[in-house]
Amino acid sequence: MSLWVDQFRPRTLDDLHYHKNLSTRLKSLAASGDFPHMLFYGPSGAGKKTRISATLRQLFGAGAEKLKIDQRVFLTPSKRKIEVNLVTSNYHIEITPSEAGNYDRVVIQELLKEIAQTQQVDMNAKQRFKVVIINEADSLSRDAQAALRRTMEKYMSNMRVILCANSTSKLIAPIKSRCLLMRVPAPNSDEMTAVLTHVAKRAYFDLPPEAAQEIVSDSNGNMRKAILVLEALKMQSPDLSGPLSIAKPDWETYCHKIANLIVTEQTPARVMEIRTKFYELLSHCIPPTVIIKTVAEALVTQVDEPLKPEIMHWAAFYEVRMRIGSKKIYHLEAWVVKCMSLYKQSFFQFDMDDFD
Amino acid sequence: MATTFAPTGLLGIKTSFAPTGLLGGVDASESDAGPSSVAVPPEPRLGAIATPPSFVSNGLLGSVVETNSAKDADLPPSFVSNGLLGSIVEPPGINNAELPSFVSNGLLGSSSSSNQDLPETINSQPNTELPPAVPAYKYVIRATTFDGKTVFFRKKPKAARHIRNTTSRPEQLEMGNLLDVPIHRMLDELSLETATKLQASFEPTASTSSNDLPEDTLWVDRYRPRQFADLTGNERVAREVMTWVKQWDYCVFGKNKGKKRAREDEEEIAYDVNDEYRRPREKLLLLSGPPGLGKTSLAHVVARQAGYQVMEINASDARSGSVIDDRIRPALESGRAIGSTKPVLLVIDEIDGATGSGDNSSTFIHKLIQLTQDRAWKKSRSKKKDPNGKRPILRPIICICNDQNAAALTKLRAASLQVRFARPADIHTVKRLREVCAVEGLKADNRALTTLVGIARGDLRGCLNTLQFIKSRNEDVTEAVIRRATVGMKEAESSLISVLNSLFTPLTRKRVLELAMTEAEEKRYVTRLSREIEACGRDSSIAVGCFAHYATLHQYDANLLRFEKAMGWLETFDLLSAAMYSDGDFALSPYVSYTLVPFYPLFKERNARVERSQVDWESQVRTKANEEIYKTLARGLRTASTRHGGDYRHLCTAPVLQLEFAPYLNRIISPPLRPVNSQVIRPEERALLARLVNIMATLELQFYQERAEDGTLSYRLDPPIDVFVTYDGKRASDIPVSRYAVRHLVAGEIEAQLIARRVDIIEREKRGKHDSFFGGNAKSSPIKGDGQEHDPPSSPTKALATPPNKRARVDAPVVDIADRPPTDFFGRLITVPTSRTAQHKKSGDTKFRVAFKYNEGNSAAVRRPVKVSSFL
Repeated sequence: MSLWVDQFRPRTLDDLHYHKNLSTRLKSLAASGDFPHMLFYGPSGAGKKTRISATLRQLFGAGAEKLKIDQRVFLTPSKRKIEVNLVTSNYHIEITPSEAGNYDRVVIQELLKEIAQTQQVDMNAKQRFKVVIINEADSLSRDAQAALRRTMEKYMSNMRVILCANSTSKLIAPIKSRCLLMRVPAPNSDEMTAVLTHVAKRAYFDLPPEAAQEIVSDSNGNMRKAILVLEALKMQSPDLSGPLSIAKPDWETYCHKIANLIVTEQTPARVMEIRTKFYELLSHCIPPTVIIKTVAEALVTQVDEPLKPEIMHWAAFYEVRMRIGSKKIYHLEAWVVKCMSLYKQSFFQFDMDDFD
Repeated sequence: MATTFAPTGLLGIKTSFAPTGLLGGVDASESDAGPSSVAVPPEPRLGAIATPPSFVSNGLLGSVVETNSAKDADLPPSFVSNGLLGSIVEPPGINNAELPSFVSNGLLGSSSSSNQDLPETINSQPNTELPPAVPAYKYVIRATTFDGKTVFFRKKPKAARHIRNTTSRPEQLEMGNLLDVPIHRMLDELSLETATKLQASFEPTASTSSNDLPEDTLWVDRYRPRQFADLTGNERVAREVMTWVKQWDYCVFGKNKGKKRAREDEEEIAYDVNDEYRRPREKLLLLSGPPGLGKTSLAHVVARQAGYQVMEINASDARSGSVIDDRIRPALESGRAIGSTKPVLLVIDEIDGATGSGDNSSTFIHKLIQLTQDRAWKKSRSKKKDPNGKRPILRPIICICNDQNAAALTKLRAASLQVRFARPADIHTVKRLREVCAVEGLKADNRALTTLVGIARGDLRGCLNTLQFIKSRNEDVTEAVIRRATVGMKEAESSLISVLNSLFTPLTRKRVLELAMTEAEEKRYVTRLSREIEACGRDSSIAVGCFAHYATLHQYDANLLRFEKAMGWLETFDLLSAAMYSDGDFALSPYVSYTLVPFYPLFKERNARVERSQVDWESQVRTKANEEIYKTLARGLRTASTRHGGDYRHLCTAPVLQLEFAPYLNRIISPPLRPVNSQVIRPEERALLARLVNIMATLELQFYQERAEDGTLSYRLDPPIDVFVTYDGKRASDIPVSRYAVRHLVAGEIEAQLIARRVDIIEREKRGKHDSFFGGNAKSSPIKGDGQEHDPPSSPTKALATPPNKRARVDAPVVDIADRPPTDFFGRLITVPTSRTAQHKKSGDTKFRVAFKYNEGNSAAVRRPVKVSSFL
């Protein structure tokens, strides 16, 4: 049995609940027979992958849903072995090159060439090309993207590439220009409510509108999160009655705690306290950029108006540094110290620099 | 005539004289007679000459005797010189004409001119006495005795040639045979010379006269211990090593060399009982310890003492795995070094630098261990069969390293006897240094030496080098001199903690005095600190240390300005080191150490002790552990997605898994179930339970029973994904920890479901076979039902209703739980077989019975009763 997220995932373009325009466009593209490379982008949980698989189904029929998952081992030039999971059907292959870390270039090069150089064997296939889906394309390294660009042109007859990314900003321009860009925006709250009620109906229970409202407002446009929350709620209180408390993910609550700590006290001891909390978050494998973003968002709700842009500015500043640097905790703490200092200055309404 | 002439004696000029070997390196055959046997010449050939005056000189003192014979012409003995210096063994044919019965031994006569002088001065014997029949034998010296007999002496080609230089002077030649130096003085000279020579041979150990020696040897070499007794300091270690080497005696020398001792039994234990060669249990000895304590010397001395020839392999030799096969194995197998009669003992110095850290089987260390583990071959067979087979190693191997925890030695440590060389008490080292200073005539006070030893951390080699350096500048050893001479010695090994301490605390008064710094120098810190950081070489650890420490300091910092600055520097450090290590831009490395120096002006504080903080390390360890859990969960998701047509695959990618899936999955799998027996459960709860069990089983989550230390039982979630909702050791408040009974219930259900699944797979395989026989699915269910009956224990619940396709299976457990057989208190099924058969009887689908025995005979045929009507 699958989770509801998967169980009630729309399989065809017609089943999709929202972004009807996008669906019709995809359908006509699939019908035209001349299918371009595509880049789906949009926030997490908006339904990119759902649309991709629906498009595949439209292109190849139900055969595209017969999936096989296996592991491939790639050998780096330095003879290190990298295991990458592949999801394949007869018509397409789906990879997440970020699994290979720094060696994603090797994976892209070998796999794409291999696929591109073999023709479609199935004579009954609707299309003459195969599709390669690259997930998390925005985490592709520059080398890997460069490896991709020429391959995309050269093997156009045998292969189409569908990229899936959260944002296009990290993709190099040549790749963007080779793709048809498909933006999948997050659903608005009405659309999400509609989906949630649909899910509830399929799962044979009634979802009170208040609960739906609450889930929607909490999940912030992330459909996957909303459905997960719904299922968690349903598991925890099967009748969904009474006052609902939507559980935030624990790391998020924890981040909010950190924001509180920053606001309430600005001392070295507090810095140490926050540091242990950061360590705790990092050890739970929460990405440091997410931490800094979440804490900053929680922080700006608690400070005065003139401080808000400052805090966001420094958060951005230190996030960049964090990405360049290697030891994340330094940058997190540097930002905290900066915030504390800013807060203190604004709190006392004068510049303490004169004292030193 | 009766007096004997001992070589040291000054008397006995006229006596017959038989020299001892001492003065002259004479061949034993001639000098064996010793001083007391005067007139009897040792050579059997000379035995005929019984006349007392016959005088035999061995040539060393030849010149002396000559004077004698020249003076007392009245008793001219037939004088035979043995030609020790024999460069002048003239073939008889040349000199015969002039030669008297006297044959010069060449002491006088390196040239023929002296020979020509001889007849005039000495002698009167006619030439005719020379027997013409004497063969012209090149290596024989012919002499004639007084009464005309010819005697032949064999030539002694070896002689102390330098004697010629000292004793036979040019004047002698001019003056004929008359010497201007009195014989007693010459004897004096000779004995003195011998004495010095003898002394010289003892020189190295008794270095009393070393003041005279030129300064061309390092003191380290000069005072290297040469015998076991010379070893200072670590006597226990020395004895331990010696004991180990001695344990090889039986194997190497074939017997116990020493006498049987009372300890024999004890030693016996050390042998490997199974080893036919009675080698020690560990065939390697691993000596480890800081440099300069004498590990290498110890190995060499012990080896020599025990009668081995040392074969040394050190860092200067190639030390790849192939060396073992090419060089070491042949040497050890043959057992002797080339050109030596002693058995060989292998010393592998500086082994921590050898290859061997990886799993690669061709590394040096790996091969070395293999070498020692080679078993002896079965004698009868392999001699014929396997001439190239490996023979066991029968010689001891000593490995020496500085760091016994080096990664390369991991495997070696297990296979070897480890002897740790500790730094000996300073007092021993100081004592030894004092001895050396006394011998070398170096004035040294005790305090200075103690300081030296302290700075050098017991490194005797370093101390000796320093002392020699001081001596070479003709200084007395005082503390100040020592300090100056050892600048840099200590810096080489600054530990992490000491660097951190100097970053966070200013120099103490004492230290300033010690380093003899001026006020201005004391104030300047950048160079000092950056050099210290660089010397430590572990800048990232130092940075972590700074990071851990700076915020614990309680200095007033109103607006955290200093903190900001410090963080700025740390950031710079991080950026630089990231550029260095990840982008390979090592040109930046000189600047890295400077980025940490600013902590000194910002945070220096007296009396602040920096302690090593483990926080960062612990966090890394926890991160690793959690990453593993995530990986396990992702693996579970992937297998689930293969089973469910790719359903879960979008959830296992990195950010989604950690940020959304993990927290909510924890909530999904902890519904508020009441701890009741599954039979009295309410229908809605039953549905909940079914769903929970299904999800958990799909994702390979399971509760495992565990007994805590206090004996209470508990169920643990595995993989422990509940850590993802546990922060600061506290579980998220909205997720209740399910109670023991609930977990027990769930665990049982999951178990059942997993078994059912396994059975399902087996059934499907079986069905696959049957399908080909029966050509359809119609008959498959009764067959399955019967198969079920044959193995009831393994298929308690679900199998009956498991249809082939997945969709239907989703609903299967719901039905099952209703039919679930009762379990006893421990969750065991009570009446499985009966209930199962009962069910089947009830379902009444047993019209066709199929008897089926697996693997009966060779035929795969299936027997079943078939009505004739079915054929018609």
